[in-house]
Amino acid sequence: MLKIEHLTKAYGEKKAVDDLSLHINPGEIYGFIGHNGAGKTTTLKAVAGILQFDKGEILIGGKSVCTSPLDCKRDIAYIPDNPDLYDYMSGIKYLNFIADVFGVSAADRKERIRKYSELFELTADLAQPIAAYSHGMKQKLAIIAAWLHSPKLIIMDEPFVGLDPKASHLLKGMMREVCDEGGAIFFSTHVLEVAEKLCDKVAIIKGGRLVRSGTMEEVKGDDSLEEVFLELEEEVC
Amino acid sequence: MLSVLLKKQMTEIFRSYFYDAKKNRSRSKAGTAAYLIFFVCIMVGLLGGMFTTLSLAICGAFMAAGMDWLYFAIMGLLSVLLGVFGSVFNTYSSLYLSKDNDLLLSMPIPVNVIITSRLLTVYLMGLMYSLVVILPAVIVYWATAPVSVSVIFGGLLIIFLISVFVLTLSCALGWVVAKISLKLKNKSFITVVISLAFIGGYYFFYFKAQTLIEDLLMNAAVYGDKIKGSAYPLYLFGKVGAGDAFAMLIVSLAILALFALMWALISRSFLKIATSSGHTAKKVYKETAVKQKSIAAALLAKEFGRFTSSPNYMLNCGLGILMLPIAGVMLLWQGGAVISALNEIFGTRAGCAPVLLCGAVCLLASMNDMAAPSVSLEGKSLWLMQSLPITPWQVLRAKLSVQLILTGIPVLFCTVCLAFIYPYTPLELLLTVLVPMLYALLSALFGLFLGLKMPNLNWTNEITPIKQSACVTIALFSGFGYTALMCAGFMLLNGWRLGFVGYMSIFGAVTLALCALLYLWIKKRGSSLFAQL
Repeated sequence: MLKIEHLTKAYGEKKAVDDLSLHINPGEIYGFIGHNGAGKTTTLKAVAGILQFDKGEILIGGKSVCTSPLDCKRDIAYIPDNPDLYDYMSGIKYLNFIADVFGVSAADRKERIRKYSELFELTADLAQPIAAYSHGMKQKLAIIAAWLHSPKLIIMDEPFVGLDPKASHLLKGMMREVCDEGGAIFFSTHVLEVAEKLCDKVAIIKGGRLVRSGTMEEVKGDDSLEEVFLELEEEVC
Repeated sequence: MLSVLLKKQMTEIFRSYFYDAKKNRSRSKAGTAAYLIFFVCIMVGLLGGMFTTLSLAICGAFMAAGMDWLYFAIMGLLSVLLGVFGSVFNTYSSLYLSKDNDLLLSMPIPVNVIITSRLLTVYLMGLMYSLVVILPAVIVYWATAPVSVSVIFGGLLIIFLISVFVLTLSCALGWVVAKISLKLKNKSFITVVISLAFIGGYYFFYFKAQTLIEDLLMNAAVYGDKIKGSAYPLYLFGKVGAGDAFAMLIVSLAILALFALMWALISRSFLKIATSSGHTAKKVYKETAVKQKSIAAALLAKEFGRFTSSPNYMLNCGLGILMLPIAGVMLLWQGGAVISALNEIFGTRAGCAPVLLCGAVCLLASMNDMAAPSVSLEGKSLWLMQSLPITPWQVLRAKLSVQLILTGIPVLFCTVCLAFIYPYTPLELLLTVLVPMLYALLSALFGLFLGLKMPNLNWTNEITPIKQSACVTIALFSGFGYTALMCAGFMLLNGWRLGFVGYMSIFGAVTLALCALLYLWIKKRGSSLFAQL
């Protein structure tokens, strides 16, 4: 589903991501963890086609992000760490805009908007301008928008930040559902307990370099993910 | 504490002069200097030059009549009018809608300090506009009148007092807009209506100003006595500039008292307004049938939505939408007199009148520059345009289309009105329609070009990209320059020898060529720049 090969991205002299390679298969929830400034967001943005990179290759469903960006973007959805949406639109206008861009039919969007907005208890607020939404409501709207076109790969940067416990629980269920239907999820998180329980595979990044990756069992063995993560941080230091 | 906030505010206002958002680094000293010089040249050269000419024309006459105070009263009023006009549209958002309100209010900063820092933005904007009138007026007076300490002090004091008065008026109007905005549902619409009423009043005064000044000059003594009798504060206000100690004291006290009142008003209501989300009833969502749109239509609707959601955006970048149809109707009503006047002045050179009429349409069209800040206005939501399956060109085309539609239709209406009042031949009529339409295209392309070259995505208040950015200033003044070039080329640079058709054909062809160049640049290089923002 997603192949990242030798990805390198530098900001001036500093390498934010250095020779990173990752493979994500259909049906996998892949967690991406690392300290602040480790290069997680840069990697996720490069995969989403937002950020151009210096070296390497990113393939989504066998298509290159560099040479076929639109084909790749049609298959994915991206949710950033801070959901800066169009404040001047109402929630429903925003969802319709996203649906129009992805070519979601009127019938499909109606059904999905109804389903997910009811799940997240956002239906009554859809006519309100996004400017009036709380952070959590914006996050919920961004999640609904991401699910609207049934993407094959969903990329999320800290998706649980700002969500209430019920919404977090729902999101975890939705992520599993996507993977059960043959999709894949690639997301970053600082909540290691969530990663440990939810992810099939995990990658730990430090200073732009991948320091460990694999199935949850391969990465943590008999320890907790937190212990492994902290150990790795110290080792590299 | 205050100095830290003032520094933050200044950094925000002048950020684009010192920081290159595209390269994500500070500008070189030379780059900053060039930017500043360019801005100063525009303000001093164009606006300042205009008011210097006016000051030179009337100062001597009023002095000879012993009515120095009337000179300062007139120039002072003009200065206040321009200052308030320049700052009033962004007062509400500058004072109450900054994105860092919550951050600053959560910190151990006294509210009055936050208000002071917010007032600085309004003050600087008002000062900038009022200075272009009153500074030349004072300098011309100093150069004409016998200079004494009291005259110099009076000149400096009137400059200061005007800037404080402008701030007071702008803030009072901003407060009214804020109060209305909190109560009403269609805030954007109401704000636009109020502002347009203000603009209407401004232009009414502006167009009457010349007649009024001429009349005042002719009957200075009579009007002087009348003003002294019925508008004594205005008399005192004028006496300040002439260096009258009593007037300086009284007017200073009056203006400072008004400022204190305004301060009390703002400081009492600031917290409530800045932290309010409005008292309007929540709009409940009801499912309705939706039609699937094409990507192009969805993007266009998004851009229209952005434009119509913001009174600041509409008022600062879309006045032409209103002015062009008004001009068209006015031409239908008073066109005959306009043509007669133009023929009387330029009768010896055929083609002058239609060129000037074309120029006037282009000048009004240049008041629309919504494409220029449109890239910067993506702000922190830019990730959406970059992550969705759309090309940068599709995004840019939608931004262009908004300006083309909102300018093209009013331009067409205005030029059709011209056809009713001027006896054009078919070819002349075609060029009269075509050249302003081509200009509408050129100004949209040039605005977008500037927006792509000078993006600022890290603003905390939308006023920054809409009003305080270099790209909008350049776009606006380039439009004035284009019109000036069109008219001057015909009348002063022998363009008239070619006749209207010959000259406008060449001018249209050059405009078309520039459009083609900019179009190709935006489609290729501009798209690439947008993708890398």
